[in-house]
Amino acid sequence: MADDVADTYTESQVIMTAVKVIAPFTLTYGMFMTLHGADTPGGGFQGGAIVGVTILMLAFAFGIEPTRRWLRNSVLVSLVTGGVVVFTGVGLATIALGGNFLEYDRFSEIGIAGKWGMEAIEVGGVSLIVSGVVITLFFAMAAGFTAERGPTATDADRGGDD
Amino acid sequence: MSALAYALVAFVLATAIATALFRDVLSTIVVFGAYSLGMAILYTYLLAPDVAMTEAAIGAGVTTVLLLLTIARTTRPSPDQLFERLDVPAVVAVGAFLLVAGTQVLPEMWAVGDPTAPVWSNAEVSQYYIQNTYADTHAQNAVTAVLAAYRGFDTFGEAVVVFAAGVAVLLVLKREVFV
Repeated sequence: MADDVADTYTESQVIMTAVKVIAPFTLTYGMFMTLHGADTPGGGFQGGAIVGVTILMLAFAFGIEPTRRWLRNSVLVSLVTGGVVVFTGVGLATIALGGNFLEYDRFSEIGIAGKWGMEAIEVGGVSLIVSGVVITLFFAMAAGFTAERGPTATDADRGGDD
Repeated sequence: MSALAYALVAFVLATAIATALFRDVLSTIVVFGAYSLGMAILYTYLLAPDVAMTEAAIGAGVTTVLLLLTIARTTRPSPDQLFERLDVPAVVAVGAFLLVAGTQVLPEMWAVGDPTAPVWSNAEVSQYYIQNTYADTHAQNAVTAVLAAYRGFDTFGEAVVVFAAGVAVLLVLKREVFV
């Protein structure tokens, strides 16, 4: 890339319009796949990945830095760690009810159908972890594109190459 | 197999070979994304929609985007030639492997969708899940039921591994916050 690294983002009317049209559908499809994963193809992993990819599309179309400001650090941290906490919590709750780790049928003792335990770890566990990590990886990889953190050693090296 | 399946296999093979042979890294990444998309459609054709969705979202989508981001931070040398030079010993070795696999191994394998294939017809594993999944878990999608209920502890481990991988990437990139 001969251009300055900070200028990687190109404001394109075509990409912005296309993403504006497509994003609601991919977000809905990802949510459907997550919430309906027990009865149709898909599940928390695939649905979470598609929800994460929707954010990636928005960042590509409207600039990575505005998207990063919009999705604050605390939101992503609570997404990912919250997913692990929900998954662990469901597993430990079944042990507390006298069963094995993730033995969902134990929830029937407190009036909850066992299927909801599985839905809880798919929707509240796996999909949150996957979508959070996908967005996190993207932002972490893209972090070098902005001058926000000031010139680093790698920036200086790159400047020498151009 | 139908003509569509043969066309898909040809497309996947062509993009896989192109991925290995293109000299320009950007071309390689674009062709690799096309390969993943072809594999996703092929998985759908083989009646594995769960795998196809993962391949389309992770393989064709996220991987391509992350690779593009990575090479955007490097300098791009003007390619002196379109393809890599072929390494003759490597081509001979891979060719011999493909010859043995195609003539000796492939004819011994079960046809796709053969109801007598052991992977489908054995009563202890495949048929057990197909017959008992709904009664056990009340989930109509047996794949999700196996992942989240029968093998829930494995999935818990995988989810924690994904979480740990995200934390490890941040440590390697020396960033203390998620964004």
